[in-house]
Amino acid sequence: MKEEGEREVVTPGEVLGKASDVRAGRGAYLAPHNNLVYASLTGFRRALSPSPDSPDQRPTVEITDHKAHGAVPEPGSIVIARVTKVMAKMASADIMCVGPKSVREKFSGIIRQQDVRATEIDKVDMHLSFRPGDIVKAIVLSLGDARAYYLSTAKNELGVVSAESTAGATMVPISWTEMQCPLTAQIEHRKVAKIGG
Amino acid sequence: MENKPSGSPTSLVDQLVVPGDVVLDLNSMTNQTIKLGGGLRQDCDAIAVTKAGKLRCTKPNKYWVESSQKRYEPHPGDSVLGIVVDSKADNFLVDIKGPALAYLPVLAFEGGTRRNIPKFEVGTLIYVRVVKANPGMNPELSCTDASGKAAEFGQLKDGYMFESSTGLSRTLLSSPTCPVLDALGKKLSFEIAVGLNGRVWVNATSPSTVIVVANAIMNSESLSAVQQRIMVEKLLQNLKLST
Repeated sequence: MKEEGEREVVTPGEVLGKASDVRAGRGAYLAPHNNLVYASLTGFRRALSPSPDSPDQRPTVEITDHKAHGAVPEPGSIVIARVTKVMAKMASADIMCVGPKSVREKFSGIIRQQDVRATEIDKVDMHLSFRPGDIVKAIVLSLGDARAYYLSTAKNELGVVSAESTAGATMVPISWTEMQCPLTAQIEHRKVAKIGG
Repeated sequence: MENKPSGSPTSLVDQLVVPGDVVLDLNSMTNQTIKLGGGLRQDCDAIAVTKAGKLRCTKPNKYWVESSQKRYEPHPGDSVLGIVVDSKADNFLVDIKGPALAYLPVLAFEGGTRRNIPKFEVGTLIYVRVVKANPGMNPELSCTDASGKAAEFGQLKDGYMFESSTGLSRTLLSSPTCPVLDALGKKLSFEIAVGLNGRVWVNATSPSTVIVVANAIMNSESLSAVQQRIMVEKLLQNLKLST
């Protein structure tokens, strides 16, 4: 007998109830061949009571507290990523936040040479746009291939948000292509994001 | 004991410096542009040494640290000897004794088009020029000089390749000709390719010549000019006695 307050862990494939008793919510699905509601995620089951004025009075069962509840990048969402590797034709980045929420598992992104900026895209020098360790704001172009999402910084408000100079200090942006170190006054080249109005 | 920064730049020039030595104090030099080469770093207001070696300077304002080591740090413009490790669709992967494998684009040859891509097998020795060497990225190479001509770059066939320190490579390439090469060149005929990454290739018609040249170069690193000439004389005498 289930006690009050005890939460039951369910795994994918477990039967949550009959279709006539419960409605499938998030993390559950209705199998049409035998009218049973199964779980499709691992997590805790939660029953939501139906709204009183809806015609369907079955409670909705859903699965909560699983890892995928964290943010997942979708095409068109603005992400914050940290550049891990810069190569001749592309840069790899680890996606850390999707919109305002941080992600719960690691997502990889790639910024290709033609997606760094909007003008003169074949003359882009990746080394003058990003360095390993930079924090960039990018938009997700597509789900990409099996390894990484495709990201783009080809807008004024996208690009490097925060970067460290070779001397170790956080640099100050001076234009859309340059940032300056406050300790040594050396100027380094980045594709800088325009923050603010 | 504290190391006081030297106010005048000439006090440590041409002397051995170790990492941590403060070479210049920028507070005492106003309105001057100083160019820093390898081995020196700017630390807010002082210029500090990061590599052990001899501090050199040329007028009016270039300073750098000269040191000799086995490890090579790729630098744009250097001519190096590379060994092909792999070939991919767009470029060859070449080992140049640096921290990362270098990429040699398949089209970076004189008159190179998609139709006449050279076929370098794994293990081929090539003489190439470093085009780009950004920190954290793989260096990029080319088999042409800056104007696009072949200029002796490319595959080195036959001969014998041995490794040396970077300091010895720079001595062999200095002008006027280094004494050991001068003395050898007067009596023997051979061809030689020196890579700034610490690799030297020698080729001659007879194997004994190749061995004599290679041994002479390897032994000449710590000898002065006069000692180098004496050593070459002895080696050439032995060569004549054996033939």
